[in-house]
Amino acid sequence: MPMDFSYKETWLHKINPSLKLLVMVLIFIHLLLIHNTNILINYMIGMLVLYLFFTGHPWRRLLVISIPFLFIFLTSSTSMIFFGKGEITWAEWGLVHITEESFFRGLHLGFRGIIFAVLGIVFALTTRPVFLFYSLMQQLKLKPKYAYSFMAAIRLIPLMIEEMQTLHYALKVRGVQGEKGVRGFYNKLKSYSIPLLSQSIRRAYRIAVAMEAKRFSIPGNRTYFYRLGFSKFDVIFLCYLLVIIPLAYITANHFPYFSITDVRFGR
Amino acid sequence: MGKGLKLSDILVTIIIALIFGVIYKLWGPLYGVVATLGLHLEQLLYGMWFIAAVVAYLVIRKPGVALLAEVAAAQGEFIFGGEWGVATLIFGLGQGLAAELIFAAFRYKRYDMLIASLAGIAAAFASLGIDFYYGYIGDLALWNMLVLCGTRIAGAVLISGVFSHLLVQSLEKTGVTNLVRPAAKEDYQALG
Repeated sequence: MPMDFSYKETWLHKINPSLKLLVMVLIFIHLLLIHNTNILINYMIGMLVLYLFFTGHPWRRLLVISIPFLFIFLTSSTSMIFFGKGEITWAEWGLVHITEESFFRGLHLGFRGIIFAVLGIVFALTTRPVFLFYSLMQQLKLKPKYAYSFMAAIRLIPLMIEEMQTLHYALKVRGVQGEKGVRGFYNKLKSYSIPLLSQSIRRAYRIAVAMEAKRFSIPGNRTYFYRLGFSKFDVIFLCYLLVIIPLAYITANHFPYFSITDVRFGR
Repeated sequence: MGKGLKLSDILVTIIIALIFGVIYKLWGPLYGVVATLGLHLEQLLYGMWFIAAVVAYLVIRKPGVALLAEVAAAQGEFIFGGEWGVATLIFGLGQGLAAELIFAAFRYKRYDMLIASLAGIAAAFASLGIDFYYGYIGDLALWNMLVLCGTRIAGAVLISGVFSHLLVQSLEKTGVTNLVRPAAKEDYQALG
């Protein structure tokens, strides 16, 4: 769980969480409009710099976390490489038809997947959920009943994991043997999910009643334990992006890696 | 009602969503492994990512729950460091809206397997729509794109339609759903 491992605080941690989230959504939309792999690769390097040097987590952990990136690259690119539309054929075996266009489109998708993964991990590693929800309430006017429900729910997850462990032991000690096949899988799934879900719903309901009694659901003016605002780190973050993104465009125009500038079919 | 969701509805929705958020996160690597087999077999698993909306709605049966659940589950997957990062949030929003629209179209009056499957299919279409821009699926060979759409929709029906309905049926037997559902017409009739 990301809650209890140690790390150094960096400037990425001090950015306003709402701003960080909004910027990430804007970057997502922006990335969907980029069809030039050269720009995308430079973009990716700019984001990888954030991941590698500024999250404040030790190298070893960063390495372990980045293993799935490779998976992301493969899963997002392979089917496009093998089955994408294209005219300049490179190889063909049965259904598989690799063309130059589909290959580069596949690469493009792979890099795109990696950028999203990197940004997501950067966000997850440098943002405390509690601060995110306080900030959403204060800056984006999220209703307190939603924010506090979310924070309470996050606190319940470790309890649920503990409960799952208990359930596992309970089934074991009673000698419940799993059957094989789809039916066995279904039964196993049911024997875990039903008790977990029902217990969690009961617990959530009890907590909600208590929270309502404590007037957590009242909208309007209220005081907050944490006050979040904006700081110079927000400016640094925005400046970083405002330098890196135009730079990605300029270098891609002057020093392209590939000659293809639009990976969509027929463009 | 008129006042929207109560805090207890919200908290129960979010806890259901977060349980599925954890499953969504674990589902990612599984999806990745199956994807290496090729031919879009992994798309059969895709339906799991629509299930939070359907289950939450079937349990709580109130307007807005499906959307909230899907967004919250996506948000959960995002803050646990899911592989798709921000993309998850956008997909979650789209899928949640699609499922919500289906439930709204039946005026939040139907809770059977058919409606669950329809919501799953709608969510699948929403995700395909986003994938059109995000994954260039329109540029796949036609047969391949059809396989992708077909398997994803089939997966949606199987997992978020059939499986989620069976799951909620078993949950009903535990009696926990009576806690959170609004009183039905039969309940008032029983009062005489």
